[in-house]
Amino acid sequence: MEERVGQYWHRFITRAAHNSFPKAKLELQQVKAPLGVFFRAMGGDAGLTISSCSATSHGARRSWLHRLAGTGQKVELAWRDERCLYLPHSLDVLPSQALNQDLYYWLAALATSGSLPADDWLQASQQATIKTLGAFPGLTGRYEQLVAAMLPMRPSLKSLSEAEKYQEKTIRQALCDPGSVTAGTFFDSTISPAPVYLWLHPSPPLATADLSTNEDSTVGLDEAKKIAQADERRRRGERVEMPDDKPGAPFGVRHETSLFTFAEYVKLDRSAEEDEDLSDAEKIADELDQMSLSQSQTSTTSRIKFDLDLPSAAADDLVLSEGIRYPEWDYSKQQLQADYCQLLPMLSRDAVACDLPEHLRKPCTILKRQFQQLAAFPRWHKGQFEGDRLDIEAYVDYWASLQQGQQPAEARLFSQKYPAARDLATLLLADLSLSTDAWINDEQQVIDVIRDSLYVFAESLKAAGDEFAIHGFSSCKPSHVRMHCIKNFSEVYNANIRGRIAAIKPGFYTRMGAAIRHASVLLGRQTEEKKLLLIITDGKPNDLDRYEGRYGIEDTRMAIVEARKQGLVPFCITIDSRANQYLPYLFGRQGYSWISSARQLPQKLPQLYLMLTQRLGQ
Amino acid sequence: MHHHSSLNLVANDKDIKTPYYQPQGNEIALFEHAFQHQLPVLIKGPTGCGKSRFISFMAQRLGLALHTVACHDDLTAPDLVGRHLIAQQQTQWQDGPLTRAVREGGICYLDEVVEARKDTTVVIHPLTDDRRIMPIDRTGETLHAPDNFMLVVSYNPGYQNLLKGLKPSTRQRFICLTFDYLPAAAETQVVMQESDIDITTAEQLVSLANALRKLKDQDIEEGASTRLLVYTATLIKSGFDPVAACRAGMIEPLSDDADTLTGLMQLVHAVFDS
Repeated sequence: MEERVGQYWHRFITRAAHNSFPKAKLELQQVKAPLGVFFRAMGGDAGLTISSCSATSHGARRSWLHRLAGTGQKVELAWRDERCLYLPHSLDVLPSQALNQDLYYWLAALATSGSLPADDWLQASQQATIKTLGAFPGLTGRYEQLVAAMLPMRPSLKSLSEAEKYQEKTIRQALCDPGSVTAGTFFDSTISPAPVYLWLHPSPPLATADLSTNEDSTVGLDEAKKIAQADERRRRGERVEMPDDKPGAPFGVRHETSLFTFAEYVKLDRSAEEDEDLSDAEKIADELDQMSLSQSQTSTTSRIKFDLDLPSAAADDLVLSEGIRYPEWDYSKQQLQADYCQLLPMLSRDAVACDLPEHLRKPCTILKRQFQQLAAFPRWHKGQFEGDRLDIEAYVDYWASLQQGQQPAEARLFSQKYPAARDLATLLLADLSLSTDAWINDEQQVIDVIRDSLYVFAESLKAAGDEFAIHGFSSCKPSHVRMHCIKNFSEVYNANIRGRIAAIKPGFYTRMGAAIRHASVLLGRQTEEKKLLLIITDGKPNDLDRYEGRYGIEDTRMAIVEARKQGLVPFCITIDSRANQYLPYLFGRQGYSWISSARQLPQKLPQLYLMLTQRLGQ
Repeated sequence: MHHHSSLNLVANDKDIKTPYYQPQGNEIALFEHAFQHQLPVLIKGPTGCGKSRFISFMAQRLGLALHTVACHDDLTAPDLVGRHLIAQQQTQWQDGPLTRAVREGGICYLDEVVEARKDTTVVIHPLTDDRRIMPIDRTGETLHAPDNFMLVVSYNPGYQNLLKGLKPSTRQRFICLTFDYLPAAAETQVVMQESDIDITTAEQLVSLANALRKLKDQDIEEGASTRLLVYTATLIKSGFDPVAACRAGMIEPLSDDADTLTGLMQLVHAVFDS
């Protein structure tokens, strides 16, 4: 009973204290896609993804209701770093949805002016505002509306001390008339002013290490969908050494705003925690200002863990050669690092020749029939010695020559319909990283779906008589990029190849750039006129080093640009529901296809292949 | 060789209006040199950046007839060369546009040449090397191109998804001119000249177009062309609401994706709202 009353009280007081407009609430998710287009069009870095941020402490004086409710210490403010533009998960600070939407667009516009110098937030914010309004004067009206709506939300001057009052007045002046507050005006107060939603974060929690939380890499897809939104919130992550066995004690961190926050290290044995506690763990992660993860903890299902499998040398597959060196693109230096990656061509050690799995036989029979027909996509061929139709043009030419007294050329006067050979080679590159270990439903993992897709693809293309090769890839740091040969162009698809498909297994990470470079070399050697590079993946490029994030995206993009220059046609097929955040940057809007339900991949792959080959005019 | 200076042109050909052309760089001089030495020219550039306008301007300037062929998927060699037609009691040969240009002299302009069927290269190749001949199998003729014949082809390297590239063996037969959208100030001039719009609006339109062009290949396939700018300016000039004119003239033509359109319209507001 006591507990029940406590809950009611909490709910009541939280609601009473929350100075926001729940009815006007706008989720970032609702505006994210157009916002991204807007941000890029305003001149924002095209490589950035838009992500929701976690709340950070602002340290300002709270109203008595807030203090009573224990809320209001944290706000979600916008900022950007080298790979993301972070925007509030949702906005309800303004009284109408239209205003909250305008605020999102305003923040995105403001973020295009670059990140703020940390030293003088007041000056930098005013300058950014002036710059943005100068570049896009059409925003002025909306900015004024936003300021007008925002001012009544600011703390009332009466309730503030003298120093705070001065601060508050200065901020209001800077909002109403940007640029009017000159440098050097600022506060020696120990309390930060109330958060300014129209400006970027005063001290953005930039990542200290180039590592970040490798969330949900091994989570089942359904589960992943449920938590996807919450997961996207960027948590302030930093890595710490695994401490010794002493029980963890919370310690205070002196915040720059002199507020004491209990930010840190709570000793929790995550590896022992299983599913039931995960929602709690997420909540805790949301509430901590700074989250530290230690590398040595290994657990099987945690969404906030790092997985750290290292290659097991003994039972590994056969390595075919010493390794081939490939360069890698470093976007921060804007240059290729020569011989940076070592790629190992590999062959499965325990592949056993086998038949097509029972459950695929029926669909494959149907597909094979379709592909035989489509391969034999018949066309009329003119200028034949015999055929079903008269070639009128040739006939007229022929008679014209005769009548003019010339000796006509050979009497090729007929058209005949027969199948045209396709002049096309396809290399299928499948992502075999550990993330494909995830479960889609009770029976199937992602890797199973990929395996089935490879079978179906190979059966179909064999029926069509098209040239194709299949490779799988995974990686563990640049020195170990694994390229599993499943079928070379020169090999015939048979039971041995089926055996290799059966033997694919998930492992390691996704260093996509090196794999694409190698695939481009293999495909580039083919003599066919059109060359299609199909990439099947379930997520972003990543690896244990800095390949995670922007670096990996940029390298992959460069590998794709190189492939295009070589005359190949790269196309990506993905089952990652967040693919639209980064694949357009890599492959262009028309260059990839997202399959919403992974189970459909085996059916969709042959369809996509047909669509692509038709687009290529084959 | 006919060679008018541009001054003469204005004085003599009052009935033919010389099209307005805003130079991007040295392309006029380069084109004239190429013409004097009978070199074929390839023009690369995005849609609506002034390629065709440049050619008609140059044809006027050099006093040459212009034979334009808009190439398409089904354009075959006989469409360029010509074919026999059946007339009363006999068949008659009819020249195609390329043959006519070779016989009469002048510029033959194959617009978007990559779209044409592969067999057209057989006709193009002998005209683009030093032989400058055009064998016509069907009539048994071999035409020699006169000095004032010039072959010009254009294509748009931007459509990366369909990958219809020009073969190196064809590409390497041409002097190459690369066009791009004009710098903001010059493009503003063009928009004002073509649509008679005021400078403020023209500047706003150009800054909007330049923002849109940054989205090429990622959010949209191609940026807004100068042509679209002129269309939009024309709508605004005739009294249409600027934001609505931008939606119709510059935004909707670029994409069909609802989210992209919403984001782009926000951009229009950021430029045009007062």
